[in-house]
Order: sequence, then C-alpha cells, then structure tokens
Amino acid sequence: MKPLMLHGHDRALTQIKYNREGDLLFSCAKDSHPNVWYSINGERLGTFEGHGGAVWCIDVDWDTSKVMTGSADNTCRLWDCSTGVQLEQFDTRSAVRTCGFSYSGQLLMYTTDSTMGQKCEMRIYDSRDSAQIKNNEPMMVLPMPASKVTSAVWGPLDQTVISGHENGNIIQWDMKEGEMVHKVLDHSKQINDIQFSKDMTMFITASKDNTAKLFDTQTLTHKKTYKTERPVNSAAVSPLKPHVILGGGQEAMDVTTTSTRIGKFDARLFNLIFAEEFGRIKGHFGPINTVAFQPDGRGYSSGGEDGYIRLHQFDSQYFEFDIEY
Amino acid sequence: MAGDEDQGWQQETSRKSRREQRRDDNDYDDDEPDFNDPPSYVDDIDDEELLGDLLKRRPKETDGIESVIVVDNVPCVGAERLDKLQNVIRKIFNKFGKIQTEHFPKESDGKTKGYIFLEYQSPEEALEAVKNTNGYKLDRQHTFIVNMFSDFEKYAAVTEEWEQPEIQPYKDHGNLLHWLLDPHDYDQFSVIYEGGDRTAIITNSVPEPTVLEERPRWTETYVRWSPKGTLLATFHQRGIALWGGETFKQISRFSHTGVQLIDFSPCEKYLVSFSPVPDNRDDPQAVIIWDIRSGMKKRGFHCENASVWPIFKWSHDGRYFARMASDSISVYETPSFGLLDKKSIKVQNLQEFMWSPSDNMLAYWRPGEGDRPAAVTLMKIPSRDAVCVKNFFQVADIKMHWQRSGDHLCVKVDRFKTKKEEKDGVKYLGITHNFSIFRIREKEIPVDTVDVKAENIMAFAWEPVGTKFAFIHGEAPRICVSFYNIKKAGHVEHLNTLEKRQANHLFWSPNGRFIVLAGLRTMSGVLEFVDTLDMTVMATTEHFMASDVEWDPTGRYVATAVSYWAYKVDNAYWLWNFQGKILHKQQMEKFCQILWRPRPPSLLTPEHITEIKKNMKKYNARFAVEDKMRESKVSKEQIEARKLMNEEWNTWRAQCAAHYASEKEERLALRRGIDTDDIEGHVENFEEETIEFLVKVEETILDE
Repeated sequence: MKPLMLHGHDRALTQIKYNREGDLLFSCAKDSHPNVWYSINGERLGTFEGHGGAVWCIDVDWDTSKVMTGSADNTCRLWDCSTGVQLEQFDTRSAVRTCGFSYSGQLLMYTTDSTMGQKCEMRIYDSRDSAQIKNNEPMMVLPMPASKVTSAVWGPLDQTVISGHENGNIIQWDMKEGEMVHKVLDHSKQINDIQFSKDMTMFITASKDNTAKLFDTQTLTHKKTYKTERPVNSAAVSPLKPHVILGGGQEAMDVTTTSTRIGKFDARLFNLIFAEEFGRIKGHFGPINTVAFQPDGRGYSSGGEDGYIRLHQFDSQYFEFDIEY
Repeated sequence: MAGDEDQGWQQETSRKSRREQRRDDNDYDDDEPDFNDPPSYVDDIDDEELLGDLLKRRPKETDGIESVIVVDNVPCVGAERLDKLQNVIRKIFNKFGKIQTEHFPKESDGKTKGYIFLEYQSPEEALEAVKNTNGYKLDRQHTFIVNMFSDFEKYAAVTEEWEQPEIQPYKDHGNLLHWLLDPHDYDQFSVIYEGGDRTAIITNSVPEPTVLEERPRWTETYVRWSPKGTLLATFHQRGIALWGGETFKQISRFSHTGVQLIDFSPCEKYLVSFSPVPDNRDDPQAVIIWDIRSGMKKRGFHCENASVWPIFKWSHDGRYFARMASDSISVYETPSFGLLDKKSIKVQNLQEFMWSPSDNMLAYWRPGEGDRPAAVTLMKIPSRDAVCVKNFFQVADIKMHWQRSGDHLCVKVDRFKTKKEEKDGVKYLGITHNFSIFRIREKEIPVDTVDVKAENIMAFAWEPVGTKFAFIHGEAPRICVSFYNIKKAGHVEHLNTLEKRQANHLFWSPNGRFIVLAGLRTMSGVLEFVDTLDMTVMATTEHFMASDVEWDPTGRYVATAVSYWAYKVDNAYWLWNFQGKILHKQQMEKFCQILWRPRPPSLLTPEHITEIKKNMKKYNARFAVEDKMRESKVSKEQIEARKLMNEEWNTWRAQCAAHYASEKEERLALRRGIDTDDIEGHVENFEEETIEFLVKVEETILDE
C-alpha cells in the first residue's frame, strides 16, 4: 500500500514515537517544532511550540498525558499532550540528547551532551516531588565521564536505565542505587538508537558500525546481529511477527553526490531469530534517522534526513511470508 | 706485604742499573743519550700495536697493479709502425683517464708481442676502461680483450680440470596441477580485499563458494596467475614470489627491488619483471627475464619507458619475444636470449606490432608518409619473410585485432577526408571507419574490407572460438553494439545491431557464442548477457558501479566486481551464470581484485570433445542430479541450522516470558492497577472518543 507521507517538518527528522495505543505518532526534527499526528490518516493534531533549537528526542508517557522533548537549545521541556501547553522547563548547560518517561511515567530522565566544556550527565527527576522540578534539584545526577550518551531508555519497572554510548558501550544503570550494573562492548561504533521489544525482555540497538544487535534486558547478553553495509540509525522489533526493521544509510556528509542507490536509504526487514534479511522498502531520499513499529505490528513509520515521515501499512503478503525451518 | 717489598726492590735495582749504564755510556760519548733497552727489559709490544697505522700504509709489491690493464689481441707490429700503433692505442684508451705508463713487450726481432700493459692514475679509471673497451673491434682481425691486471691471478688460478658442479637436490613441490584434479571441476579464483591486506584463494563450488586459502599480507600490491594457472605471483618490495601446488607453497623467488609489473611467457617458462628503480648503466636492471624453473636471471634490459606494458611481447610458443624500438622491432630468441640474427627488423616510423596468437608471425603497421601509403605487414619469424603487405590510403589511425585462433586478423582503419596541420599536431577531419579482415589460413592471405556505417568505434572484440566479432559504436545516448560473422570465401555477414545500449566494454565467453555487454564505471555497471547464436538478450541486469567483469576459464560463470581501487563503497564481487542469472553476492570490506585461475588447454582430442557434445544429455542428467543433491544437502543443513537456532531462541524466550509474568504485579502497581500488557487487554479502561475527519468535499448546486 502506498505510504502516507507526512511533511510537517522543514528539516531532518530526529525521532518518532507512537503512543502506547498507537493512535498518535509523535515526531521531532532539527527544526524546533515537535509534532503529533493521527496515525490513522496522517492528519496533524498539533505542534509543541517553544523550543529554540533542533529537537533531538521526544517521549510520551504510557497514558498519553504528558510529552517530553529535549533540544539543542539547552532545555528539556514537559508538555501537556492534549493541549500542547508547556508544563515544565529544565534548563541545562548543553544540548539534551535523550529523554524518557519511566514505566510508571513518574520518573523522568534526560542526558546532556559533552559540549561547550560541559560534561555529559544523566539526570533523574521524580515528578511526584514537585520541588525537584521547581528548584531543578534532580533526584539523581549520574556523570558519564568515559564516553557520552547517544541513546538512552528506561528499562522495565522504573528500576533501570540502559544507555548507549559514542564508543559503542551499552550500560545498564540501577536507578535505586545510581550504580552501573552491566557494561558491554559489542558494537565498535556509536549507538544511535535503543528500542525495547513489546514486553521489554529484549532490546535492539542500532549502531554506526553498520549493524543492529539484539540484547537480553536482564543480563545485556548479546543475542543476534543484523548486518548491513551502511550505518544503522534506528532499529525496532515487531510486536507481532518475529521481525525487526532497520533504517539508516550512507551519511550525507560522507558522499558528496549521494544518489539514493549508493546511499542505500531503504528500510530493511530482517527475521528476528535467523537474522536473515527478507525485504527492503524504498522511499526516502536520504538516510532514515528513525523508525518505529505501529504498536499493533500492522505497520511502521520512518523519519528521514529528507524531512519526511512515511507511514506504512503492511500488505497481506507481509503477513503470509515465513522463512522455512 | 712481601710482594710489595719484592717489587720495590726490583724497581730499585732497575733504576740503579740504568744509572750505572748511563754512566758507562757517558764514558764513550757524552751527547748521545742511551736508548737501548736494559738487559732485563722484556719487549712485549709488537710493531703492529705500536705503529699499526703506519704499517698499513707500507708500500706493497702489488701497489699500482689495480690501475694496470692488459690489452690482448693488439696487432703485432715491427718497430717502424710502433709509433702509429701507440698513437692509436692512446687515442682509444685516453678517453678513460690519463695513461701513466705504457708497456709494449717485444719479441727478440723487435715486433710487438700482441699484448700491452697500460697504467692509469686510479683503479676506477682502469675499471672504466676495461668495461668499455673489452670486445672493442679495432679492425676485422683484431678485437681487444681487455682485463684488469689484478684479475690475472684469479684467472691463472682456474684449474685445468673441469669440475662437475654439485647436483642440487631436487625439490619436490608436489603436484603443481593439483587443482585440476578437483572431482567436481570447480574453478578457483583469487581475491584481494581489506585494501590489499588480505588475499584469498576461493573455490567456486556449488552452491556457495568456499575459501581454500587465506593469508594476510600475501602480496604488497596485487597478484597475477601464470597463463596456464600453475603459479600465483605475489608482489613485494624486494621482488616476486611464486606460489603453487596443493597448499600454495612458495615455489620460487625472484629478487628485483621495486618490481611493479610482470609478465609470463605463454609457455610459463620465463618471467619478465619491471622495476622503475634507477638503472645501472652497465648492468641493465629495469627489465629482467628470469627462468622460472631454475630461478636464474637470463637477461636484463634497459627500459626508458614502461608506460606500455608488456614491453616484450611473446610469441605463442615462447620461443621468441620482441619489443618495439624506434623504427624497429627487436626480436629475441630463447633460450639464448640473444637478438635474432643479431639485428632488429627495421621499420620506418613503426607504430605497433603484434604476434599472431597461434603462429610465429608478426603483424605491424606504419603510417603513410608523403606519397607513400600506410601499410600493414605480416612477417614470418624467424625467416623474416613478409607474407603479406597491405597498403591503406589517407589513414588517421589503425588498430589491429588478432582472433585468438590466429585464423583472422582484423585491422580497423580510420580514414580521413582532410588533414589539417595545427600547432598541437595533425588534425583529421571527416573520419570514417572500416575493417579489413585478413584471412591468414588461405593462400596469399586475402583481405576483405567491411564497410561499417558506424561512428566512434569504442570497443572491438573477436569471438575467441568461432568467427564472429562485435564492436561498440555511436555517441551516447545512441550507443549501439553490432555483430558480424565471417562466412566462407570472405563473405562477411551483418548479424545484428543492438541499439541504444549502455555499454563500453565487451566480454566474450572464452568458448564463444555468449557475450556480456557491460557499461562499466561511468555507465554505472549495466550488464547485458547476449546469446549470439540467435541474437537473443538473455538478461539485462546491473551490478551497480561495477568496475570489472571476468569470465571463468570454462565459460560457465561470470564474475563482476566493484573494486576498492576504482570506487570506495559497496566493494563486492558477484557471481553470475553465463545466462546472467545471479548466483552469489559477496560483500567484502575494501575488496580490490578478483582473478580467475586460468586453465591449461584441454587435453581432449577434438573427436573426444565432439563425442562429449553428442552425449551431452546423458551427462546433463547426471550432473543435474549431483547439483540437486548438493543443493538439497545445503538447504537441509540450513534448515537444520535454523531449527537449532529456533530451539535455542524458544528456550530463551520461555525464560523471558516466565520472568515477565512474574513481574505482572509490579507492573500493575506502577500503572495504577491498569493492565497495559496488551493494547486490547483493558477494554474497561477504554475511553470512547469521537474524532471527525474531513473525508470528501462535494459540491452540489441546488436548483432554485
């Protein structure tokens, strides 16, 4: 089926996310206006106005009441989802690279870039204690001295955060003690994205080293590798079928005249278990920066460097296809 | 204590004795001091220690010998003509330095003995004189033999008896043709990847190629197979190494510093190597010809210009090799490595020459000059009979193409209408092309001219086995590929012209009939597989940005490659069958080069081959079964592997599921008791919401 093309951003997409039910799609880009869309028809529901720089990350809590965005304007902001009104603003000393709500939605996390002489930090707030936000006194500040955080998500049950780093490290942090629990180095280059499977027992990482990898959430044991020839910017696990989807492509700065064919800007479908590629979906005119499965697994969306979001519904052939074993 | 006393006493006595002596001497001569050693003095210092530096400079009997040369075969003259001879000698030998002394030994009757001694100022001058005058032809009877005088001892010491050289132990390299014994007749190829750091030999097995040998830093630049595939040559700063046999052991090494290019003789007997390292004038090193079996250097050559490689072209049987010099072709013969008949073949304004691929025959051409037309000549070697000379008028350029069987020679002639002399050379206007086909096997070599109404011919290729030829012509985007066939009695038939193609290279199957039209590099890797029997295009496909196409030696497979040397991303080689069906895609980090291992010519007789062709169906069936079995074995293995993977996966997922289930209570607690494990799982919490979308706008004009 022909995908819906959403052109609501002037610049490259940085992250897209569905809410839990999958009726809304949240997107942010290098322009300063994060959007929210109806996933059913691609109509724009609204924008979150206020940021003054590229927005690197966006997250929505489990009951779709609040939205969180992090930006290069040195703020992380909390929005009311239904009205689009800004609720809170956290001022930081450098760009906010990643942000997220915990499972319960009560704990907030964001990380900052190690630029402008600032160190990379992870900050945790408990929204139940209003003083923490008001006085900008986080519940916990974890310095990240070794390598800066390039991707981070809350683990299951508000207990852990999993961070991916510029040097390829993946670290599991205990949020009660503020301690490192596991640290693995399976990727050789920067981790661009981390996404959980639906039940959060495993997660997939996308790396600049041209691979995506699957890990056990508890132990950070490496389980599978999905290989491509291009940097992988984003990867997601299907909630319905044993499939994963990878998005990426040649970085625009690496090739002067990148034709779409050399760049390999296709989204790639792999079998989750056998790690065999079984399909490619063309469309973007630049690298894919972010992908997300529709929560029912019947479609997916991708956001590209070209400024478009493409909303795909899978054909019936997709559901009929199976690898023999 | 006792020892000290002893010494003290001794010194005392020696002092005393000296004093006594002095007193004695004074008695005789007061002015002369006494230098004599005391009687008790033990002389334990030898001269060497005392004045070694002086001794080293002590004149020796042989001093000056190094500057002396002996000239033999000098005319024997009487006293009356001695002056004249001396003048001649001085004139010749004064070029290398001033002659210090000369000695003309004489017989008792006053005639010179026929040899002379000359002394130069330095051994260097003497050496230079020897190098340059040894073998100097004074006249018909007298050729100088010049030697260093110091070498005479060496030559004198040669024993009269001939000593048999020690027999070198035979080195068994195993069966060098081992790869031909493969029961499945799989072919091999070499690949270089990781930007040249790794080299591997791969067997093109069905259904997946298998790596046979893989070594890091096997070569420093690239590799080459010998023409029959026996040996693999690797390049190193210090020379060439050859590898072969079952496990690719080193067979031999040729030390040639800075070697860049090599060439094998077709018989695999000799290796030609080229190095741009500055040459020694007296000992040519730029191009060296080696004997592969013995590892001996056969001859070195100077080389001013290596832009044309191979510099030496070998005749098909390796008996002769030739190079182009200014206005001549120098043909050398093996195994003597001397110039054939001691003289080059003079050709005024020679442009190009080529050996016939099947006979010892040369083809060369020269352009016209003034009223003289341009000419293509066929010449037999070693007789130097010009068997055919064909003149062409108004020639701008000529290209020669031999058919591999040597039956035909195609000469592409570019003719001009008008010629303009310009500052930067001659400019030709109104160029037309035609082909002249020389039928070599027929009496007196008839030549037929094929007029092609084609412009801008880019590539020409003979069918290696058969009588067809193909060429690419036209200007982009109207590029065409035309096919012609040579029939009996010189009738040339136009088979077909494929129009508007993306092609700049032609690759015939080594067995003929099939051809790949390729648009390499700038044409982004478009491939077309054509069967020229009925001129059907079997497949039109693409290997994006492909830089190379290589047929395997049997004509069953084609490899296409995107080399790191040409293009920096997506370096890979792909294998196709001859029909253009993709069989295997192999991505490789910084992949550089793929080369099929050549095969020697088949040992089967023509009768044998016809018989096999006749029974093709029978063999077909057998091999089809074998292939199927191998494939099913692999797919079975793959399915087995998947099954195993799946089992492991399920075990792990079961653990995950159990863990997930055990945390259900905690999850509920964190989300206000709402079960969010499934989207549909908490219907009671659904909020009904009505959203209105604009679906369609319809305008209906109502009648008033």
